[in-house]
Amino acid sequence: MVKYSYYPGNVARQSSMEVEDTIQPLCNSLGIELIEIIGYNSDGGNIIKQGNKGLQLALNARNLALAEINGHGIITACASAQGILHESLETFQNDPIALADANRVLEKTTGLTLDGSEMSTSHLLHVLVDEIGLDKVEAAVVNPLDMDIACYYGPHMQRKGACGGDDPWNPNYMEKLITALGGRPVEYKTKTSSVGNPSLLSLGDSVMKMTARVLNDAKRAGAQVLVSACTQSHSNLDTYQGKAGRVANKDTNIPVVNFTEIVAFALGHFTDRFAQLKTRAMLIGS
Amino acid sequence: MPTIAKVWIEEDCITCDACQDILPEVFEVTDDTSQIKADVREDGSFDRNTGLSAIKNEFRSEYSELIEEAADACPVEIIKFEYEGGAAEEAAEEVAPAAEVAAVPAAVADVGADAGVLAGVLSGDRSLAIFFGSQTGNAAGLAEKTAKYAVAYGLEPSVIDMDGYDQSKFASHKRILIITSTWGEGEMPDNAEDLWNATSASNPSLAGVHYSVCAIGDSSYDEFCKAGEDWDEKFAALGATRILAMKMCDVDFDEPWTQWVNEVLPRIACVDSTGVFHEDLVEAMAAYGAGDEDDGADEGDFSPPSILHATISLTMRIFRYDPIMAQSGYDTIAVALPGHATIEDALVAIKREADGSLTFRSGNVAGLNPLTGVKANGRIVPADTTRICDLVGDGDTLTVEPLPGYEVLKDLMVSYDRFDAARTNSKPWLVADPRQGERLASGAPMGVMDSADATSLHALADVGSLQLVNAMSDTYDVDDVYSGPGIALQRWVRSQDPRSGAPHVKKMFDLMQRKGGVWDEADISSIHRHGIDGSQAADSLYAARARLLAEFKFSGKSGRLVKGYSRSVKMSGNVNETTLYRSVLGPLGLGSNIMNGVSLRMLLGFTRNGGPIMRGFQGMLVPPAGIGKIPDMFNSKVANHHQVVAIFNELDRRF
Repeated sequence: MVKYSYYPGNVARQSSMEVEDTIQPLCNSLGIELIEIIGYNSDGGNIIKQGNKGLQLALNARNLALAEINGHGIITACASAQGILHESLETFQNDPIALADANRVLEKTTGLTLDGSEMSTSHLLHVLVDEIGLDKVEAAVVNPLDMDIACYYGPHMQRKGACGGDDPWNPNYMEKLITALGGRPVEYKTKTSSVGNPSLLSLGDSVMKMTARVLNDAKRAGAQVLVSACTQSHSNLDTYQGKAGRVANKDTNIPVVNFTEIVAFALGHFTDRFAQLKTRAMLIGS
Repeated sequence: MPTIAKVWIEEDCITCDACQDILPEVFEVTDDTSQIKADVREDGSFDRNTGLSAIKNEFRSEYSELIEEAADACPVEIIKFEYEGGAAEEAAEEVAPAAEVAAVPAAVADVGADAGVLAGVLSGDRSLAIFFGSQTGNAAGLAEKTAKYAVAYGLEPSVIDMDGYDQSKFASHKRILIITSTWGEGEMPDNAEDLWNATSASNPSLAGVHYSVCAIGDSSYDEFCKAGEDWDEKFAALGATRILAMKMCDVDFDEPWTQWVNEVLPRIACVDSTGVFHEDLVEAMAAYGAGDEDDGADEGDFSPPSILHATISLTMRIFRYDPIMAQSGYDTIAVALPGHATIEDALVAIKREADGSLTFRSGNVAGLNPLTGVKANGRIVPADTTRICDLVGDGDTLTVEPLPGYEVLKDLMVSYDRFDAARTNSKPWLVADPRQGERLASGAPMGVMDSADATSLHALADVGSLQLVNAMSDTYDVDDVYSGPGIALQRWVRSQDPRSGAPHVKKMFDLMQRKGGVWDEADISSIHRHGIDGSQAADSLYAARARLLAEFKFSGKSGRLVKGYSRSVKMSGNVNETTLYRSVLGPLGLGSNIMNGVSLRMLLGFTRNGGPIMRGFQGMLVPPAGIGKIPDMFNSKVANHHQVVAIFNELDRRF
């Protein structure tokens, strides 16, 4: 059993409960034990950082210190969360002054201190490919996906060191995983482009155009379903896709699911939801 | 010239049409591959001729040269042929940028040589003086090239124009190479005449000098290479040691010069810092320069990092746009390049060897040109300073596209008018108040700043190209009003410049705050991932936003978002999207989400793939919901929530 401290991110236990529903059984199936980070807080979403960089760093220092108590590296299923956690940890590991500043605040307010030297943060995708192994994943497949699937990574974790052994600029881990799960990955151009999620509420048309660009690219490439490794961006891609299509005047109609959902479906969990997804994919088409 | 008896096409043709363009009588490119035409073949078939049917006799002498040319031009080397008598000839090198580099293999090979036995000669003074006497520039060019290759032998070359040189300083050098042409009837070139006369008149002793001469000339003249001979004899007469016999080069001087360079550099590199020539080390030095021995550098010795990389074979996909036909697409070409070649080197080579119409912005020899940017495999990079080996490995594909966000003029060349217009309109340059030149009561001049401030200010926008920073943004090319992060950086710098007058600072803040300013950037992380420049730009944008929030008191949607988000986290430890939507969008925004279908998508189950529909209903039915995926009206507090509150109170009490 591989053990990780689990950070759900900002929305997996809020508006995106489907991630929370699916990550637990899929990890059980693949021998990954998720250990709760008791009292974890928001990572700041790179929004608190806009008002106060040190504050966001301190909030992340608390999460990292709590995970350090658990004794395991952090895993998350949200690309945005992984990007922020990794950037924070990288700052602490490379900048002793930043670490000392954060620890001064942490110690005073929580009694905790962060060492950070042995800590790591990972997205579930990279754990599945680098650590669990595609062979083991493939062997655990119960319901082969049998669909044309486009993979969305977003920009947040696509940086050297934050995306495991994958190529930050031309990633293919999710495509490999989809293949192992019996699906057919579809290549398209904008799989690491931003959909503007941090400004979903504050910017109008440009965020919708960025969202429509990704959806339309995936659709034109022949995808029946789009899978998002970013729980935050999923909100743009799914809930706002109709609005995005109207604003950008593009065809954006495509089922969008979270990364954890598609893996869980293939491993035999929530077969009713998988059936509904397949029906939607069939009705909407590519 | 021998005639070609058979020609055939191997597999993996990329249908680039190059062979057909050169010799349409023999080659015809179909959808899948080039083929050998029936008319010229003995068997009268039309295919790749893998059965090796002979070319009809009447065509052999006429087409042989052009077949060789087509084979040379084939970027994937699949055109094969056989001479009469059965000698097979491989297709020539593919598109070969840096062909002249390849001509001197000793100097381009990877450095990894044995410095151990050479430690003695490689230490101390390693200067090499390369003098040129040149009338038309040929000798000067060869001198520059010689200097380039000398570095591989641990030498520190200087290229010296004979014009104006003081002959008394010859003796200060231990290693001298002379490359000179001959002018007229055996005369010195103009730039060498004075030095020759002065040297002949003063006859300085050159006892400690080792030298060699490369003379270029025209053998149709009676006094072929006379100037070189004069220098060679003069140096010998003055006591210098000839390290290698003079090389005489005719009009086609490349080959003999190459031979001379490959022989003379290992020898003169074996002259140590005391002026002693170690002939026994010449062989080892030649290997060292060629980089084909083990790295045996002594422990503790400084080993300069290698900047030379092995050849990379790759496929380049290059975006093409024809503004006249309004057509765009991608050209694919297989190339082999030294790994240390830049993207621009590759483009120049392709333009020179394959397609002269390829258009792109070129850099210059002085280094980075901020306007040469391209998108290479997704990265925004300057073409003139980005090495191929830093982007791809052997066998990979490199896709080169124009910078996003700018109008494409042709192929990879974009117009920077949008950037220039935004810059001109915002005037992010220094406007001091009072004007520079006035003085404070203390007598200190206004409008200047100390070096610490200057360094700090410079660090705010220490990027290679502001135009490229704009293109790093995923927002820039979807928002025509957005002036881009590059312009934002300039405004930010000027707003922080202690020399800027108060009205100008206010103007910069206003421009950053309003539509088109820094809040138009939808996702700074899309910039952040673009290397050092992207990271630097992102940091400055965050700093600018923090300053604007303080300056404008969290006004506008962006301000409300930061404040609402932060308060939400402080209140429970986590984000509550319900309260966040409400505080940022307001009642009208919430209503519009119901009207524009966002809420409907949630209700119909699109967002949860068949998850419990009651979650959706909860969001719809319980006020103030109806806004996207909203499961909870109120967050439960995280464990030890007081710690989160304490962190906020410690660091920022505004929330």
